[in-house]
Amino acid sequence: MAEPRRHIRQNHLELAQKILGVALETGMAAGDHLPEQTFSKACGVSRTPIRSAFKVLEERDALEWRAEEGYFLTLASPEDISATIRSLEESEHSVAHQILSDRAERRIGAVQSVSALARRYNAPRASVLNALKVLTKDGIVRQLPGRAWAFQPMVDSANAIEDSFDFRILMEPQAILAPDFALDTKRAGLLRERMTSFLNAPEGAVAPAGFRRIDVEFHTLIAECSGNRFLRGTLTAHHRLRKASQKIALSPEFRLRQAMLEHLEILDSLERSQFQLAADQIVVHLRRSRIRKPQAANRGIPPLAKGPRT
Amino acid sequence: MTRPQTIAFFPEASFGAALNCVGIAQELQKKGAIPVFICHPGFTGVFADYGFKEYHLPEDPATNAETIADYWQEFTNTHVPHFNLDPLAQLQTYVRPTWAAIVDTVIAAEDDLARLLQQIAPDAIVLDNVIMFPAIANAGCPWIRIVSCAETEIPDPAVPPYLSGLTPEDTGAIASFDTAYRAATDAVHRHYNRFRKKHLLADLRGAQFLEPSPTLNLILSPAAVRYCRRNPLPEDKFVFLEGCVRSENQFDPPRFPLSAGPLVYVSFGSLGAVDTDLIKRLIAVFETVPARFLVNVGAQIEAYDRVPDNVHLGSWFPQPSVMEKAALAIHHGGNNSFCEALYHGVPSLVMPYCWDGHDNAQRAQTVGVGRHINRADWSIESLRADIMAILNDTAMRGRLAEISDDMQRNPGTKAAAAAILGALARREKGDEVPAGTMVS
Repeated sequence: MAEPRRHIRQNHLELAQKILGVALETGMAAGDHLPEQTFSKACGVSRTPIRSAFKVLEERDALEWRAEEGYFLTLASPEDISATIRSLEESEHSVAHQILSDRAERRIGAVQSVSALARRYNAPRASVLNALKVLTKDGIVRQLPGRAWAFQPMVDSANAIEDSFDFRILMEPQAILAPDFALDTKRAGLLRERMTSFLNAPEGAVAPAGFRRIDVEFHTLIAECSGNRFLRGTLTAHHRLRKASQKIALSPEFRLRQAMLEHLEILDSLERSQFQLAADQIVVHLRRSRIRKPQAANRGIPPLAKGPRT
Repeated sequence: MTRPQTIAFFPEASFGAALNCVGIAQELQKKGAIPVFICHPGFTGVFADYGFKEYHLPEDPATNAETIADYWQEFTNTHVPHFNLDPLAQLQTYVRPTWAAIVDTVIAAEDDLARLLQQIAPDAIVLDNVIMFPAIANAGCPWIRIVSCAETEIPDPAVPPYLSGLTPEDTGAIASFDTAYRAATDAVHRHYNRFRKKHLLADLRGAQFLEPSPTLNLILSPAAVRYCRRNPLPEDKFVFLEGCVRSENQFDPPRFPLSAGPLVYVSFGSLGAVDTDLIKRLIAVFETVPARFLVNVGAQIEAYDRVPDNVHLGSWFPQPSVMEKAALAIHHGGNNSFCEALYHGVPSLVMPYCWDGHDNAQRAQTVGVGRHINRADWSIESLRADIMAILNDTAMRGRLAEISDDMQRNPGTKAAAAAILGALARREKGDEVPAGTMVS
């Protein structure tokens, strides 16, 4: 019985993150009411799990319960909401999360042993092994012959980001154009609402972390709706890697809003089954996002557009 | 109803100038003007991402990504050792070849720039650079100069020479530096004057490469660090800016495994990031300091591993939003970084490597808003002691809080936008010298 209970708890933790993500994206402030109905719709689940997730957030002092009134946000700033989301992520898969976070921050090397990780995290070997299995499932780490475990390349450098865009420009239109692409209209509708809320935030109040969450979810949705199983698998794994790797949305607010509008236009085309148009739009969207700041610049020298040679 | 004015910004190909211009353009846009940007190759998209229309100077057909990468590799190998030299020794090793390269880029850009200006037909041009482009002087509209280097770029007998790192009291050294500077730049200066003459511009004297604008000059130098000039600059043509801080995204500090201690922001600009050996040595010191460090490593992130638990590396940070949350900034003395730190009341630990970084390092130390550290002359113990001393210096923090209040009451971006539109309005009324009139 322990295993199902753990799964239920994890689902509630995930939902709690989603609820705070919605609160962040819609610019909610301390004292704002969280109606069950609204969040049930925004998160695409019934009101029962929403209530459980609210309780998780109440335990963490993120929400307060007022009799006859419901739950209210207690977190004072967007930074506090982001910090609570991060802390929920960490408790979701504690050791796996720490390993992944430390690798993304280049705190640990690309090849690791279970013993070294157990020492670093002061965790039993079994927990570390479980964590590595979770990360293996996501394609982030693989076991080498013997006792070593190797991390796959992350999307964390100028050259890796460029490779990632090259890959996506090739694959994402194909995911749409593959026969039997079927849009999950319920998820698409929920995402549309979140994108619209993001765009409705006042100037200067757009949260880069909120953009990243919606961006990864949107591109993952497209991958998962593809009719080609291999494109589906490869792209969803790549989006998991992107989610794990990139910590900051690097573009200014104008570009984040523009990119969100492009998401909505792609969604419009998909909903009308204009797949060729959607495929073209996703190429334009990715090409625009791919334009990077110069990597180095100085007087009298042509700016260095690409990352250094590796 | 009056037609909105199109203002063409032409910043040099560096992040400081580019982002400084973004701040002013954001304010001009709020006031109804139409700012557009002329971009050097490689800066494509930087301004469009802030919502501005871009016009692109074409790439040199002789270069491609590979040749530029080779060029940077050679530049790094040649000049990183020169960054450890003092300003006088850098005149021959770094300043002379850099001026020669700058003049070459101006000559190469001339025809394309003239063509773009004809296409844009702006009401005014804003030049943020260290050198004049004849196409701008001859464009038939007023041009405005932004001095986004240190104030030393505009000479005065009471101001130490540009790029010298000297104080006004270093009189003996000032004379030697002046002589050496003229000797180092003489050949390239004569070459540049010949090019100007060909395009009907008057010679420049005194090792100058850019004349003041007859319309308006904006100097990015807050009152707190400004010099007392012997020959005050005319107030109708020269406006000092209290920083020039653009609006940026919110910044949520990342989670550190060791989450205690003040936040320290470390950036040596995209050029300084090429010196990965220095940054690795610094990180080894940061590991011993009870603080959290955000380190901008530019494009070099793959050069790092085993990052300590109190250090976070990034290839780009929304610097103004980070400064707002920082207790200390460790930087190279780039004028934009220095002014952003002052704007947010953050002390600077300046480790300069070239150009006006030397001037700002000296000034930060002299006026008591930071410390100057020689990048080639520190030990683990001395650097640690300097960081701790500056973090614990409550008197400095108090001084900086007052400076920050003053700057934020009169933001340079707003002052610059108002001065530009005011100068153009005065010119329309006719009480202004015509465009292109030379003042040398």
